[in-house]
Amino acid sequence: MSEEFFDREEFVQYFKDETDELLQTVDSSLLQLEKYVDADDIDAEIVNELFRAMHTIKGSAGMLGFTEVQELAHRLESVFDLLRKDRMPLSQQSIDLLFEGCDILTALIRALTGEAIVPEGVDGYMERLESFSSLYETAAAIVAGGAERHEDQGEERLDATTEEIAAFEADVARLLAGSESGKLPAELLATAADAPQPADGAAHPTHQARQEQRRNLSQTIRVDIERLDALLSLVGELVINRTRISDIAATLARSLSDFKDTPACGVIEPLTKDLADSAGLLARTTNEIQEGIMKVRMVPIGQVFERFPRMVRDLSKARKKEVRLEIRGAETDLDKTVVDEIGEPLMHLIRNCVDHGIEEAEERLGLGKPEVGTIRLNAYHEGNQIIIEVGDDGRGINLARVREKGIRQGLVSESDKLTDREIMELIFQPGFSTAEKVTDISGRGVGMDVVKKNIARLKGIFDIDSTEGVGTIFTIKLPLTLAIIQALLVRVGGELYSIPLDSVIESQRVEMSEVRTVHGNEVITLRGAVVPLLRIGEFFGLGTTRDPEKVMIVIVNMQGRQVGIVVDSFQGEQEIVIKPLSDVIGRISGISGATILGNGSISLIIDVHSLVGDAYASGRVARAEYSAV
Amino acid sequence: MQDKDSKQLSGEMIQVVSFSLGNEEYGVDIAQVQEINRMVQITHVPRAPHFMEGVINLRGQLIPIIDLRARFDMPRVEHTKNTRIVVTEIGSKRVGMVVDAVSEVLRVPVEQVEEAPEMITGVETEYIRGVGKLGDRLIIMLDLQRVISASEKRELETLDAAAPEATAVS
Repeated sequence: MSEEFFDREEFVQYFKDETDELLQTVDSSLLQLEKYVDADDIDAEIVNELFRAMHTIKGSAGMLGFTEVQELAHRLESVFDLLRKDRMPLSQQSIDLLFEGCDILTALIRALTGEAIVPEGVDGYMERLESFSSLYETAAAIVAGGAERHEDQGEERLDATTEEIAAFEADVARLLAGSESGKLPAELLATAADAPQPADGAAHPTHQARQEQRRNLSQTIRVDIERLDALLSLVGELVINRTRISDIAATLARSLSDFKDTPACGVIEPLTKDLADSAGLLARTTNEIQEGIMKVRMVPIGQVFERFPRMVRDLSKARKKEVRLEIRGAETDLDKTVVDEIGEPLMHLIRNCVDHGIEEAEERLGLGKPEVGTIRLNAYHEGNQIIIEVGDDGRGINLARVREKGIRQGLVSESDKLTDREIMELIFQPGFSTAEKVTDISGRGVGMDVVKKNIARLKGIFDIDSTEGVGTIFTIKLPLTLAIIQALLVRVGGELYSIPLDSVIESQRVEMSEVRTVHGNEVITLRGAVVPLLRIGEFFGLGTTRDPEKVMIVIVNMQGRQVGIVVDSFQGEQEIVIKPLSDVIGRISGISGATILGNGSISLIIDVHSLVGDAYASGRVARAEYSAV
Repeated sequence: MQDKDSKQLSGEMIQVVSFSLGNEEYGVDIAQVQEINRMVQITHVPRAPHFMEGVINLRGQLIPIIDLRARFDMPRVEHTKNTRIVVTEIGSKRVGMVVDAVSEVLRVPVEQVEEAPEMITGVETEYIRGVGKLGDRLIIMLDLQRVISASEKRELETLDAAAPEATAVS
């Protein structure tokens, strides 16, 4: 094919996308298959699916000339073929071998697209796989051959097969000696007849369900996320104009009385009504388009969850712990961009649960807990947010130990009086780790602080709840989408600012007589809690003047802490489209972007997280926890 | 403009949009100028570098505005009816610049553009691409990329100084 007609890069990208999905299927199917180890009867549909996936990878790789991938996929396919033809019993060894193959295949494909370096030991693995499957091919041939000969000469059959069996056994012995850990014990060759059936049938979708799923898949198309982003941005413009037209219609309707009893009234009045009707219709359609485009961008979070069962399996094996992963709410939808970003933080959390949370089996038994530890991964919608929980029934967080570690690492001093909450927050400090020694799983001192930062970047909230001896629950709250939000508009020093409604608890007018000071910083008492005030106009240097009688306060929540932002006036709630500030201006702490309002004016969006963080850091805000003491 | 010396026309010419700041005349390559607007309402962006005047809404797009006087450390003046916003496009970045007045589009022969002598003006030479001579007029040719990118550099320094890690709160 000539260069002009064959954009190889595009094909490689397509190949990668396709195989990524297939390898994910292979991974989860293998996990399902693992439940049938040593069972009499395995679910043929799972094996078929594995076979088909491998076959597709082999075909696509061949087309693009990726011979190594093609070769490996071919050999794995042969193993699945043996399995589906009942020529090979399913043992733990074969599953492990297949998992390893799947990993090597993934690494090979990543290497092809330049995402990783070429993995080592590919040839060695292929040889092992080859001898493994040839073993069973020989066995199958003997059985088939034996049956054939049985029909003609009984005597000779016995001799011949005995010889062949002897050769076969020699083969096995050689292989056993060759493989470093004796991967092929003899009993592997005999099917374990009395193995128990897998317990829960619910875990294996029925045949019909699978077919249904496949049919649904064929009705989908792949769309570049950039095109969707472009559409969303256009919808954003539309939303702005919708609001603007509604504003104009409303203004016109209000000023209609000015034209009363003038000749123009007869023309203007019906037109005004028409405009209002059209504006209403436009608003409705725009809303529907907006909702539609949002839905298109939504993908189930299960896409991220899919890789965790395998991860937990490998981790728990490595740590010699018994861990079960329960997943709920995999079908919960959220924005594609959020899904792409949330995988990494979740991975850190799950690792943390396996490494720090779940105890070893013996210790668990001693504590009267079930031998197998459980990690629960749960996702659900709550209002305009999605909540993701990662919980374990392990040892929980030992606050005394965290505090001690914090002192040793110089994060706090011995004399500091810390609330439980503040001790818990030490975990979020960069470099903090309670693990006594570094393992390959966690304990390298990266983790919770990275998780917290990543989640904050997604405008999410990260929280820990832990009871010593009972377990830990990490909770992540994320907005469904990052592009359009509900905001409270406030006026400060002549400009309009937008405060994202998800961080607003309430807005209040408070008399100055109720404002106290702690170390020179203003606070108010709200339902028994001390809430520090932040005069945002002064903080931003807007040259605002203080009202001697009252303050208008927007109470915001940041990581469970409340802060009252003092503004000049409240201007109501509105749906706003977030636009980033130009990178010529760069990132400004306290401002997350801007939006264009219905009348064409600009409102800057306040980034509550960094604003409050900065205010604390610069000592502009009283530390409520201390002032309460 | 293209009258006095016909020989100049035969050489390579560059077209520049000229504008004034104080008593000096500046020019930017016309290819980098997207449009010239009258003064509109500028939304102030707090904690931005001092020369960032703010942002404007240009037909639904947010355009950052640089006050060139502030950028070049000249004294600020009240905006007049002649004040203009020159919207430029450099790479994919769009930036508006507030100038005292826009005069005209000039054709300057390339050979008449010389390297900027040191400290000919109040403007730091790092922003200057050269000085074009047109009769007895001197046009200071701006290097917009520098005007913008240097602003990024400084702005980052400002940020680092002003904003310690937000997560350092406990």
